[in-house]
Amino acid sequence: MSAVTIARPQELAIPAPARMSLLLLAPGLLILLSIFALPLLGLVLESLKQYVPGRVGSAVDASLTLENYRELATPSFAGVLYETFKLSAAASLAGLMAAFPLAYCIVRRFSPRQRAACIGLLVMLVLLSMLVRTYALELAFGSVGIARPLLLALGISPTSRGYIEVLVEAGLLHAVMPICTLTLLGTIQNIDPRLCDAAQSLGAPAWKAHLGITVPLALPGLVSAFLIAMTFAISAFVIPMVLGKGRVLFLSNTIYTRFSDVANYPSGAAVSIAMLVISLLVLSLASLAHRGKGARS
Amino acid sequence: MNGRTKRLGDRILGGAMVAMLALMLAFLVTPLLVTCLLAFDSRSFLGPLPPPALSLRWFERLASLDYVATGLATSLKIALLATVIDVLVGTAAAVALDRGGFRGRGLLMAAFLSPLIVPAVVIGLALLLFLSRIGVIDGFTRLLCGHVVITLPYVVRTVLASLAGRDRRLTEAALVLGATERQAFWSVTLPLIRSGMVTGAVFAFAVSLDDVAVSMFLTDPSTYTLPVALVSSMRASFDLSIAAAAVLLMAVTAVLIIVLERFVGFDRLLGQGLFRS
Repeated sequence: MSAVTIARPQELAIPAPARMSLLLLAPGLLILLSIFALPLLGLVLESLKQYVPGRVGSAVDASLTLENYRELATPSFAGVLYETFKLSAAASLAGLMAAFPLAYCIVRRFSPRQRAACIGLLVMLVLLSMLVRTYALELAFGSVGIARPLLLALGISPTSRGYIEVLVEAGLLHAVMPICTLTLLGTIQNIDPRLCDAAQSLGAPAWKAHLGITVPLALPGLVSAFLIAMTFAISAFVIPMVLGKGRVLFLSNTIYTRFSDVANYPSGAAVSIAMLVISLLVLSLASLAHRGKGARS
Repeated sequence: MNGRTKRLGDRILGGAMVAMLALMLAFLVTPLLVTCLLAFDSRSFLGPLPPPALSLRWFERLASLDYVATGLATSLKIALLATVIDVLVGTAAAVALDRGGFRGRGLLMAAFLSPLIVPAVVIGLALLLFLSRIGVIDGFTRLLCGHVVITLPYVVRTVLASLAGRDRRLTEAALVLGATERQAFWSVTLPLIRSGMVTGAVFAFAVSLDDVAVSMFLTDPSTYTLPVALVSSMRASFDLSIAAAAVLLMAVTAVLIIVLERFVGFDRLLGQGLFRS
């Protein structure tokens, strides 16, 4: 009798068959396949179709062509690409420079209460609607916003292209900074604070100790935080649309315009594929950086 | 350089750092405060701060706009439905991925997280083309499809992280003490991963409620989400009723934050893998 009760649980502790796992995976895989993978494949196909101006989308039996990709080599497309990358890189870099000291203070300087308040604020910002944050920036610093008199007094035209670029960048920075900070918290937590203390007790000034110890040790984390911010920024849609007011266009806005204004789906699809490839490139850099981090630690 | 100048330099630099941090925090918070203040402005135009008197006129105007009520109802319905689907499907998938026992586990894990990598606009256009080709033209179904795709990875990711972080010995103990595998799952494993499920659900809900890039492609003339409606009216005119809507959405976020703090806690939130590369 007692031998039976001991034997029973041992039998059950053996992992269930793979069939059970597949059953659990099935609904998720079905969703991924049917409304994610197949549509993306369809997008690739659409990008190869001949577009006849005036139609909505391509014909079902349209001939295949690489015409849609040729447009990607034009100066106007290069301009959009350059604008997207320039603003994204600048905002990500600025976000990183602000996020690093903030994350450091949260981990090493703040009292538990301050830490909780700060992390709470950052999580709130991440959860808060991007649209709300963008609109708030427009209301505060936009062309009709409350900062308008101040801008005019400083001799800055709120409708100039330069200022609109700054505004879009501020929007991206507002989005990216909390993400960067929260990502860097873990990185900084893993750095032994005694190393810095040792350097300082041996006579190094604080800035030198941080530059020589904290920053190099955090470098892999910094690189991946930068690339996370980059992937977010280059696919941003609402920020350039609301703050850029059509004067600053990102790749994502171009795709939407192809859809809403001219209904040239094949060309929109080609731009989409290009954008997807760019995002994947940035992300594979991120995973390379991550692998480097893994090798080092 | 002697010790005193060194410490003086440290103090100056430290002060500059604190000033910069204060400036950055102000940059993050000020626009939101301005929006809150202006939403209660009693003037009919956008004037300098502070408003001379406070009123609820913009909220009244907001309530009188048809598109806001329609959009909000659609948004909430879709966000709730998508979150429920995500939690059921995503948790099941995460549990299976965590158990393993089949080939291609790493690949499958990457596949489940991949919608996070693809830019939302690309997903939107791809879904629009695909769904109209197979004959799905109903706006609600299309929006639901899009929102499930973009929010599912959040639940999979957070549940996977909490599965990885749990103490497996507790489940083993339950099995040793005679629980069936099913009992052990429902009464030991599931409560242990609840915080991951709540975090995933909160993020999925927030992402769904905020999405513009995917939804813009999938709306139809009578079915649209609140953010899409707001963006269109934002481009049409500059009206402070949008500030009132922003305050409303901030209140929703506040509720989500309270849920997170009550059920998960911010310190544990960081262990959920959302802010890791």
